[in-house]
Amino acid sequence: MSRDTADGPSGGAGLDPELQQSVILTKVEWVKDWGRRHALWPMAFGLACCAMEMMATAATKYDLDRFGAGVFRASPRQSDLMIVAGTLSHKMAPRLRRLYEQMPDPKYVIAMGACVVGGGPYSRFGYHVVQGVDLIVPVDVYLPGCPPRPEALIDAIRKLQFRIEERGGATLGAPAAAGRRASA
Amino acid sequence: MSPGGVRGAAQGPGGLVPGGLYGGGGEPAAVEFHERQELVGRDLRTEEMVFNMGPQHPATHGVLRVVIRTDGEVVRALQPHVGNIHRCCEKIGESVPYYQWLPYVDRMDYLGAMCNEHLACMAIERLAGIEVPERAEYCRVIVAEVQRILSHIFAVGVYGLDLGAFTPFLHQFRERERGLDLLDHLSGGRLLYHYVRIGGVKRDLSPEWLDELRAFLDAVERRLPEYNTLLLHNRIFQDRTAGVGVIDRDTALRWGVTGPSLRAADVDWDCRRDVPYSVYDRFDFEVPHGHSGIAGVVGDCFQRHWVRVREVEESLKIVRQALAGLPEGPVLANLPASLRPPEGEVYVRAENPRGELAAYMVSRGKDTAYRIRCRGPSFSNIAVITEVGEGTLIADLVALIGSLDIVLGEVDR
Amino acid sequence: MSEPKDKTPPAPPRPDVGEPDPVTARALALLERRAPGAVLAHEPGGRHPWLRVGADRLREAARLLRDDPDLALDCCHLISGVDWPETGEMEVLYHLVSYARRPDAAYRRRPLKNDPFVCLRVRVPRDAPEVPTVMDLWTGADWHERETYDLLGIRFTGRKELHRILLPEDWPGHPLRKDWEYPADYHGVPIIPPEGL
Repeated sequence: MSRDTADGPSGGAGLDPELQQSVILTKVEWVKDWGRRHALWPMAFGLACCAMEMMATAATKYDLDRFGAGVFRASPRQSDLMIVAGTLSHKMAPRLRRLYEQMPDPKYVIAMGACVVGGGPYSRFGYHVVQGVDLIVPVDVYLPGCPPRPEALIDAIRKLQFRIEERGGATLGAPAAAGRRASA
Repeated sequence: MSPGGVRGAAQGPGGLVPGGLYGGGGEPAAVEFHERQELVGRDLRTEEMVFNMGPQHPATHGVLRVVIRTDGEVVRALQPHVGNIHRCCEKIGESVPYYQWLPYVDRMDYLGAMCNEHLACMAIERLAGIEVPERAEYCRVIVAEVQRILSHIFAVGVYGLDLGAFTPFLHQFRERERGLDLLDHLSGGRLLYHYVRIGGVKRDLSPEWLDELRAFLDAVERRLPEYNTLLLHNRIFQDRTAGVGVIDRDTALRWGVTGPSLRAADVDWDCRRDVPYSVYDRFDFEVPHGHSGIAGVVGDCFQRHWVRVREVEESLKIVRQALAGLPEGPVLANLPASLRPPEGEVYVRAENPRGELAAYMVSRGKDTAYRIRCRGPSFSNIAVITEVGEGTLIADLVALIGSLDIVLGEVDR
Repeated sequence: MSEPKDKTPPAPPRPDVGEPDPVTARALALLERRAPGAVLAHEPGGRHPWLRVGADRLREAARLLRDDPDLALDCCHLISGVDWPETGEMEVLYHLVSYARRPDAAYRRRPLKNDPFVCLRVRVPRDAPEVPTVMDLWTGADWHERETYDLLGIRFTGRKELHRILLPEDWPGHPLRKDWEYPADYHGVPIIPPEGL
């Protein structure tokens, strides 16, 4: 809390010293973002192997709750972070898009694992594997690894939190398939 | 209503099948309509409802999609749809050299990676006529059984989660993390190892690692009664699972159900004992099957859970015997840089945590296989819910799917 | 070895070691007694013994094998399809196993460490691959047949409607056919990676 208030746009230079100890002046938007980034509700969207590591991150040893992102929801309507963990297939892609559209704004996407970052080991001969989830939905944080370790997922979530802090609460990612491989 | 009811519903406004991106791709309208209304009074007007469970659903263990036709809480008919993570394992097997195919095998059943590697290596070795050093066989058995322990305690914990008990999940992850660290120290990966190689294993087991392993085995043995207090002997758990989702012997065999689910249906069969591969014939262990003597009837969800718990105990026995008999020697045979098995074909099966994994391979003397076909045990195991799930309650369907302990990576391959 | 010369497959599996497989020998004797002429070719031993039957007599042979109390092949373990473009044929293999019959100690002591199974194989022309279903004999064959249809395009007749199982219904072609070419994209989402195959 202390770090956040120090970072925040709290002013009050000319105030009574006693008031400065007990009153924080800030913007509503900033407080909203502060709450948002420390209460990310990820959607439990496990597709394949990486989902096991996502579960491990949420479970006993790594305890994702410490970073304020451990409330895994089963419904997209209750969540603001989609951790796409696993391999995305062409059959699953329209469902993923629909689930993403059902999430309330602002919403964030972490692409967890090599498969959703860019097809991973299936990129070459895997005819049924989408070559990266960013062809379907915008992505905020790319997390490579096959599968990434839980520490890496925690790092990705911290990175996302810093990005929300920097840029405010708007949905961040670039539009789907905007730049990357537009020619492909 | 016509037999095409599901398709009709799917194409209606607010359709069931998300086809937005790809247009009307469509799914088979395979749910047959049963006009049975015996549970409802004659004057009460009711309507049957068709809806999707999955592919994004916490109780389907991944991306299984089940189209269910319900009458109130009763499932009248259901049709599982798979393929949502079809990852082309067989096509890749035809496209890359044998050595390079092994990592893909890991990713089929990502909770039983060591066992998958074991089978794939056995198949390729039989095709190429490679002899594996004895110590390597022992290493393989040890890691495969550790993997089985990890897979089964995970299945036990996640089954609790399916039925609404969060505590066992958190408890089992304590031991699971220890086991994952163990395999991590051996192979460098927590989940997918690529440790078992064609002709042996990658690294020898060091004395320090063996000490670590012994400590892990003791920890699991100490904690097992704790899990059993939380689930197996828990009255609520028994009420949720006993007598639910009964798969009898005949049904199990007709559908090709294997593994713990088959043994729970009172078929006394375990590939490790009955058609022993590797060095399993040197170890003494029991095959739990039939009725637990605690609750329920033969073939229900409770017995499947019980078989898994008992198999953890048996796996502990096997690992301890393997440790006691671990011979000295090399762990990897000398192999050519490019493996070209002679023309021929093999069919190999092995007991995985989820059932019998089998592989059929055809070689034409090249460094890539001509055809590789894998039998994912979960593929056959989940098909059975088409028949068994009919007439159950929706909540019991969750218990049924959970008790089969499927891994979708293996269903779709 | 009654392999007909004109239809020799590109890779005829030859026995490399060993005596005849007892389980396959029993199955062969049964079929020759009860359905003479059904077995067109066979491989008695080696790592992968098999019996080839014609597509028209597959169901008869399968039923005999399933119902024989000695063999008791109560489970259809795996159905695989193989594409042989050189001979213009497709092949379907049925690996049948028994859970009622446990292999005896003598079987296990054989130098070849293969498991007891009976492999029935059927060849059909590649341009019209049609095989009768065995779904009514082993219900579990349903999904295996659907997968074989999905990935290789072999049609199974006499069963309820045959749908794709793994791939979407409008997927182009059957990927495990040897002449299948990767499509550039599927509904606008690229399939071939930018660096090529």
